[in-house]
Amino acid sequence: MKSKILTFLLISVFPALTTAQDIVFPALSGFRIKTSYPVYTPDNLWDFINGAADTYLSYGFVDLHVAEYKKLKDVIKLELYRHSDNINAFGVYSSERSPSFTFRELGSQGYVADGAINFFKGNYYVKIKTYSKKAKTLQAAELLASRVEAMLEGGNGMPAMLSKFPGEGRKLNEETYINENVLGHSFLSNAFKALYEVGPDNFSIFIIQCSSPEAGTKTVNTYVASTGIDPVSSGEGKYVLSDGYNGTIFLAGKDDRIVIISGLAKDQADLADKYASEILE
Amino acid sequence: MKILSRRGFLKTGITGAAGVALSPAVLRASTQDNIIYRTLGKTGMKVPVISFGVMRSDNQSLCKAAYDKGIRLFDTANGYQNGNNETMLGNLFKEYPRNSFYLATKVKAAGVDREGKPSSETTAEDFLSKFNTSLSRLQMDYVDILYVHDISNPEYLEYKPILNAVKKLKKDGKVKFIGFSTHRNEASVIDAASSMEDWDVILTSYNFQQAYRKELDAAVKKASAAGIGIVAMKTLAGGGFLDKEKTRPINTTAAIKWVLSNPDIHTTIPGMTAFDQLDLNVKLLTDITLTEQERKDILIAGAQPGLFCSGCRECIPACPAKLPVPDLMRAYMYAYGYSDTSQAYSLLSELGTGSDPCKNCTGGCSVKCSRNFNVREKINDISRLVNVPADFLA
Repeated sequence: MKSKILTFLLISVFPALTTAQDIVFPALSGFRIKTSYPVYTPDNLWDFINGAADTYLSYGFVDLHVAEYKKLKDVIKLELYRHSDNINAFGVYSSERSPSFTFRELGSQGYVADGAINFFKGNYYVKIKTYSKKAKTLQAAELLASRVEAMLEGGNGMPAMLSKFPGEGRKLNEETYINENVLGHSFLSNAFKALYEVGPDNFSIFIIQCSSPEAGTKTVNTYVASTGIDPVSSGEGKYVLSDGYNGTIFLAGKDDRIVIISGLAKDQADLADKYASEILE
Repeated sequence: MKILSRRGFLKTGITGAAGVALSPAVLRASTQDNIIYRTLGKTGMKVPVISFGVMRSDNQSLCKAAYDKGIRLFDTANGYQNGNNETMLGNLFKEYPRNSFYLATKVKAAGVDREGKPSSETTAEDFLSKFNTSLSRLQMDYVDILYVHDISNPEYLEYKPILNAVKKLKKDGKVKFIGFSTHRNEASVIDAASSMEDWDVILTSYNFQQAYRKELDAAVKKASAAGIGIVAMKTLAGGGFLDKEKTRPINTTAAIKWVLSNPDIHTTIPGMTAFDQLDLNVKLLTDITLTEQERKDILIAGAQPGLFCSGCRECIPACPAKLPVPDLMRAYMYAYGYSDTSQAYSLLSELGTGSDPCKNCTGGCSVKCSRNFNVREKINDISRLVNVPADFLA
């Protein structure tokens, strides 16, 4: 009885129960696994990756497991970053991604660059690195990546919002997720961003999915008001703003979704409208 | 919001309150009056007391605005955002005269172990390759400051392959000044560097919450007296809040003013990702005097423990039972910080410390936590979890 009461009391203290995957580093033939690193947490991630930690922390970093695979002088280092959710895992992955990398079907997406194999899957961002140039070691690193990918929980899809970006002119593998201070504004958060090149024009499109239509309206009005004008009750939900820091901004909203386009000139409203309408309608 | 029609964007034609963005050529002239400058030691670089830690910014407009408001030193690193950070700065600053700003970057050498000691993998070749990549991304012929990233062991300061590599870069004109960054064991590393003639600048953690204040201040004073420029980072002691839920903010203005109240700190590099953060910090360019209220705010904040263990490991030798205190604190974090009792339980099972690890210490706890945690209380709190049947946690 005492045990049941204790159980009840303890569970009532932790209202949101979550499960976490136990990390068991996969074996790699010929390599010895060394796990002398602690599990890093938000409080000591700086000890491992210095100032880069701030980016990871901003994306809901939970913990990091590190292992080294050693074979004579060759070392393959494995880093498993766990984040709060799949979107934040994509966020940190995309902040470090470059379109010049060689992409692979690993997890939701991965790439190979300069002895590094990075990918994200579920809530995890995985980084594998070797300084060895030996073909066999590089192959072993790729094998390790596939084994880690197989052991991690979570789906293999990209965030659903990315499919809302129109295809025409979209620069592939440059999409990012910015969870706070979008365009440097503290009232804009949780935006997916894609870059576009249409003829001579280069511009960015941000999509923000708000929690409700009311939240969407509030965000639009806040942005409009920040430029020093009153929100116009035209019912149209589309504005051209002069953002003192970011230049001309095309802002459109419908229900709980907001589209922001930056990088176009004031006289390019038709082009902006074409893209905004495709996303919102 | 109502459904959109096809009428297109409503053209406001009204300039925003902040004004239309001007071209760099015009803006370069519009710096603030009365900016407080300090000289970065023997480098002779006069820098505003507020510089920009760009490690998180992916917004060129923010860096541009910082420059427009008078900030002149921009800090990045080879490893930030896997190079995208340096690339962004390179694309921005190619529009500016090279002598109108200072650029500092850092390169982390390979193969440095957890004790901060270089190994056979720590080669000049690897270091120089990374630096050349940085220079290419930055689209510059030189950087003003190159830091060897993350030195936490004095032995590393004299490691010839890296020391000679950075000195050669300086001789070749690709680097104006050389330095290193440190955020562990800072006092002893800075003290050791002060006795060497090789280092021009040190980038160090420096904030109101550090427990080893006396030793660090002595080391900084010695380094400054030796002509080394001192740049402070992590000035907000972890992001501006005392708790993970971000309900207990610290007075960030007070925190930075506190840092700059030490005249041996020549500039700081707060990280900024929003214009309102920039605006707050820009005020410090011309006023770094702590008010009485700010002094009190810092005193109070300095006495508060954060939520979680900092991993300093000072508790381990102090515990008579040799408990794995940092790991027990991590279990506490999983449970209370992330509501992840399953993870906490799994860790506690692995540690095998039982439901009452402190039972043999009848006279009170001898562990003095550097963050002022009541360590025994937290251990007792979390250890009860092992009595919960695992089925209830899955």
